[in-house]
Amino acid sequence: MSNTISRPSVRRAAAGRAGAGLRGERLAPYVLVAPAILVIVGLRLWPLLLGVNFSFTGDGERDGASVGLDNYADLFRDPLFQTALRNVGLLVLLLPIAVAIPGLLATFIYLRVPGHRFFRSVYFFPAVLSPVIVGAIFNLLLAFDGPVNAVLGSVGLGPIDWLGDPHVAMFAVVGVHVWATFGMALVVFLAGFATLDGALLDAARVDGASLPQTIWHVIIPGLSRTIQFVFVTTMIGMLTSMFGLLYVMTSGGPEGSTYLPEYYIWIQQGQMNRPALASAASTVLFVIMLVVGLLQLSLLRRAVKES
Amino acid sequence: MSGCGSASGPKEKDNGSSSTKLVVWDWKSGDATAASYVQKAKADFAKKHPDTTVEFVAQPFDQYYTLLGAAIQSGKGPDVMLFNGGGQIRDRVDSLVALDEFVGEDRQRLAGWDAFSKDGKTYAAPVTLQGHPIYYNKALYTKAGLNPDNPPTTWADFLANCAAIAKVGAKCFAQGNKEGIAIQFFMSGLGSGILTPQEYDDWIAGKRNWQSPNVKRLFELWKEVNDAGLNTDGANSTAMFNDAFGMFEAGKAAHMIGLMSDIGHWKDFNEFLKPENVGVMIAPVVTTGATPSLPYDGGIGYGVAKWTKDPKLAADLVRSLTSTDALAAFYADAGAIASDTTIDVSKAGAAVSTIVADLKSGKPALHVALSSKTIDLMGRLSQQLLSGSVTVDNALKQLAASDKPA
Repeated sequence: MSNTISRPSVRRAAAGRAGAGLRGERLAPYVLVAPAILVIVGLRLWPLLLGVNFSFTGDGERDGASVGLDNYADLFRDPLFQTALRNVGLLVLLLPIAVAIPGLLATFIYLRVPGHRFFRSVYFFPAVLSPVIVGAIFNLLLAFDGPVNAVLGSVGLGPIDWLGDPHVAMFAVVGVHVWATFGMALVVFLAGFATLDGALLDAARVDGASLPQTIWHVIIPGLSRTIQFVFVTTMIGMLTSMFGLLYVMTSGGPEGSTYLPEYYIWIQQGQMNRPALASAASTVLFVIMLVVGLLQLSLLRRAVKES
Repeated sequence: MSGCGSASGPKEKDNGSSSTKLVVWDWKSGDATAASYVQKAKADFAKKHPDTTVEFVAQPFDQYYTLLGAAIQSGKGPDVMLFNGGGQIRDRVDSLVALDEFVGEDRQRLAGWDAFSKDGKTYAAPVTLQGHPIYYNKALYTKAGLNPDNPPTTWADFLANCAAIAKVGAKCFAQGNKEGIAIQFFMSGLGSGILTPQEYDDWIAGKRNWQSPNVKRLFELWKEVNDAGLNTDGANSTAMFNDAFGMFEAGKAAHMIGLMSDIGHWKDFNEFLKPENVGVMIAPVVTTGATPSLPYDGGIGYGVAKWTKDPKLAADLVRSLTSTDALAAFYADAGAIASDTTIDVSKAGAAVSTIVADLKSGKPALHVALSSKTIDLMGRLSQQLLSGSVTVDNALKQLAASDKPA
């Protein structure tokens, strides 16, 4: 057979094979990525779209009927949801403190304060506790007749209704959340310190810089990327993982002052039997997370460019 | 993208039950304390229908209504199912068989039917009763120089007793309102001493006047009691379950508006305070014209699904589940006040005898008549009233608005 084939036809056949190979090569990435895409579309995007779709339907007697933007109107009229959104704003304001605490403690450990090895493990310890356990412990400590108020009483202060005063409760819960989670940020900071140039610190010492000056002029600029990373992860942690603590410590109270969107969604879906309204609240939370995430990403990019 | 489908699923139903087998869903049959109850009910049913097998499926309570909701949506749920009285069953009557023609003989013997009825039809037979008696600590009464067998009948006497009790270092009420539920207990526990019988009946019937002086008095009293230091400290930061009950059991407070079954009830208190120290009283008279009574409703009860093949057979099983023998076992082992008024409770202590004696004149609890939306708002407003960030008038205005149908 091969004897009868002319040279041009061999070239054509070779070109055909090469063409098929090229097409295969072009398609291969899509084929390889397809399972992942299918999983993402089927298990992430499709449920997300269903959730958004449900948010345009009614609850109770109007179950299944199209209600347009009624759920969203209800949501933004609900003072409880407004409080939940205000609390998201409060978390953003408290974020620098939540980042500064592990940053400062990591600095002290890096500068080898006496007992730094002991502190390193102690600071990390709460990170391995479940929020439910942490909440239960602090419920006992912060009870009106609990040990914290007893200590305050012995020095002539208080008592403070830590979890029963609407002006205090949110700060108490955020404080406990920071206590329980700063260990992770501390580890990230310590990893960042490992990349810091020791010569710069030595130079600062030789020049007679004080501790605040060293932190401000050497450590913070040297760790800018680490700080940005901790900002992003701490914010995500605050917005998405405070449910357990809120559930155990305040149940959203007193007066609804400790509601966050996540808790609101759970109450509407589980307790009030209003899944469509809960879907609308989920959609709003999704948009908030998207905006916060994109803002943080752009900040991060700008910071990296500057450094 | 808009408006097709629904967040709670389709409504189509098909027939998924078997004629020779009945499936029962509940959250009780798995408990050791309910074993002899289930056994007795099964035996009673087997006598009447030897060819039918009965399978009990115990579900976890915190998931029960979610699972039941899914079963109802698919139309493949159990034949017989357990419900809490009030909103939980009323929201689902579309999926249930009206039992009136089957349970006529049990009408008189059992109490608590109202909680399982809607628009004049009955959808489940009551197994237990749930209510809010005012318990008091007789030992603290004695310590304060008060007569433990003569609880106060007027609010003035009640306050005088509280003053005497304060002198021996205890508070008047064990209170915890972290979840916002304490005002529900307060409303139902003391309400019959505040509203006139007509106002009370109107309230239960859905004709609620939130601006009436007596309704206002109820909310004012909630605030006054706290402002006067009659509650245990830090009510808004203390959980009712189980911290506030713990305070009563520890003798830190003389009164507790508690429950009749499941938790925070006479059996719990007997264990800590001893049966002879657990007293039960009816609400003291706060306003003239009020006739205090025990607030109670049907607690839990069994209903029959619409998709069951033989509703009469399933209803017979419900009748066995509420037979005197079975309910007597449930009362004896689980400590719940059973719906059967003929059960002998004389050996359980004075508290139970008082509660059972008060059942005949009792009325449905005030808070059970409210929607879950209004209840949720009332919980938050009760916290605001205690901390002083809302006035009684403003709270009543908000509640009146929430109580209107959407």
